[in-house]
Amino acid sequence: MALTLGRGDRKGATVTFEHASKYYGASPGPSPAVDDLSLQVEPGEVCVLVGPSGCGKTTSLKMVNRLVEPSSGRVLIDGTDVAAVDAVSLRRSVGYVIQQVGLFPHQTVAENVGTVPKLLGWPRARINARIDELMDLVGLDPDQMRNRYPAQLSGGERQRVGLARAMAAEPPVMLMDEPFAAVDPLVRERLQDELLRIQRQLGTTVLFVTHDINEALKMGTRVAVMEQGGHLAQYSPPAEILARPATEYVARFVGADRALKSLALRTLGQMDLEARRGSAEIQDQSISLGADQTVRDALSALLAAGRAEGPVFGSDGRFLGFFTLDALVKSFVREPESSGNST
Amino acid sequence: MNFLIGVGAWLVGPAHWQGGDGIPVRVMEHLSMSVAAWAVALCLALPLGLFLGHTGRGGGVAINVANIARAIPSLAVLSLSLPLAFGLGLGLGFWPTVIALVPLGIPPILINTYTAIRSVDKDIVEAARGMGMDGWQVLRQAEVPTGAPVILTGLRTAAVTIVATATLGAIVASGGLGRYLVDGLARQDETRLFVGALLVAILAMLTEGAFAWLGKAVVSPGLQQAGRHDQEPWMMWTG
Repeated sequence: MALTLGRGDRKGATVTFEHASKYYGASPGPSPAVDDLSLQVEPGEVCVLVGPSGCGKTTSLKMVNRLVEPSSGRVLIDGTDVAAVDAVSLRRSVGYVIQQVGLFPHQTVAENVGTVPKLLGWPRARINARIDELMDLVGLDPDQMRNRYPAQLSGGERQRVGLARAMAAEPPVMLMDEPFAAVDPLVRERLQDELLRIQRQLGTTVLFVTHDINEALKMGTRVAVMEQGGHLAQYSPPAEILARPATEYVARFVGADRALKSLALRTLGQMDLEARRGSAEIQDQSISLGADQTVRDALSALLAAGRAEGPVFGSDGRFLGFFTLDALVKSFVREPESSGNST
Repeated sequence: MNFLIGVGAWLVGPAHWQGGDGIPVRVMEHLSMSVAAWAVALCLALPLGLFLGHTGRGGGVAINVANIARAIPSLAVLSLSLPLAFGLGLGLGFWPTVIALVPLGIPPILINTYTAIRSVDKDIVEAARGMGMDGWQVLRQAEVPTGAPVILTGLRTAAVTIVATATLGAIVASGGLGRYLVDGLARQDETRLFVGALLVAILAMLTEGAFAWLGKAVVSPGLQQAGRHDQEPWMMWTG
């Protein structure tokens, strides 16, 4: 059976795990790799699987493109059991990016990016046009980079090529296994931002594996926290994971500083600002904040300036009000009631 | 000194460049036996090496068998191949020599091909499978091109060994440059003996050079820049 989902309409697919388990050796052995995983990823969402090594997050990911077959349960893409789809054609319609990238060293950047379209038998001209389009999308200049070989690229450039290669046939689902773990922190942050931009632009559904809780909180629409033995501990939006960890394990995994971490998930524009004073006083302030700054950055700026409050301006330069430490504390008091059911 | 002048005079002597015992004919005979033996070894060992490397099964056993085969002296194989060639009605000379040379070519081709495929970065193979290549496409588009430098080293070692050893054929009345060696010994003609050795050495070096050129032509520039030439298991094995 051919899988023709989503091609051309640039929409993400729904990915569903239904009681999916994977046992190695004696079945069911004492320690499953993945234990009865059930979760659903909605179209266009980024689902991050996060946990320590050996928690089954990579195994779960590989069930989606059948590099691993579940011992029991099933995985569905748009309601179709992947086990019913030919593995080779399934993989051609699901993007796949791994940490070590796995670029073909004997092929140029352009040949690497065009791999899946070539396997699908696209005409030459369409492949070439697609290669240029993708290289632009991931921030590589086609004229400069097209004919380079992977050995001539930096780690960050290789990841970009890997990303472009995985997106070549406009897959409705992308699987990413620690794609940014091997690049340095500055490059990682840039690649994270660009992936989010591209993902929002295309509406692709992404399953993303990482062991880094900060990356998970930043990238995920929802975060699946997994623990040893392949058990899903919590599956919630990042804000809820931080505000209400479901178990002691999740609380420990996200860290004692989870209140501080949550500051990075909100911008000043989402906070209550105090509009109590006139504009004359604003001129005096030695500090000025932007509405699109995260609360974390704003707090840092306040602390650095030795102040308890600062004026906030919109992107058009209009004064919106004051951000105060008092309001910040109050926002935490209200937090549990207000953000619980938000997605 | 007089000896070298004698060798020079022998080499430029017009009589030695014509007829059935002339240098061009002997070189062609030598090359045709070598190419035939190399081609047979290639047809046997390359597919087997690719299969074992790709599936990862039974490789160790096959390599040990091939190495044991190589440990049998070529002279012994030659004397064994005589009755075989007679029995098949292939006669003296050419075919017994080819049959004796094939076992020399198999181990380097088999071992290097197997090792080349096995040592392809597992991430490359996983990426290839994850993008929807079937087994044959993984082999042809990922494993073989990536392992090409090591495979070519095996082909080169086999060819050079065969070219150097094909001289033995003269013992069983084949042609080739071995004639100069065998006849030189028999007639105590040291000049002829030396010329034979010199020509075999030159031919072996030209073979080596041809494979170096082939490597540049066939191996992707992406691999040549990556400097993967340092992994040459066969060279380590013979080293």
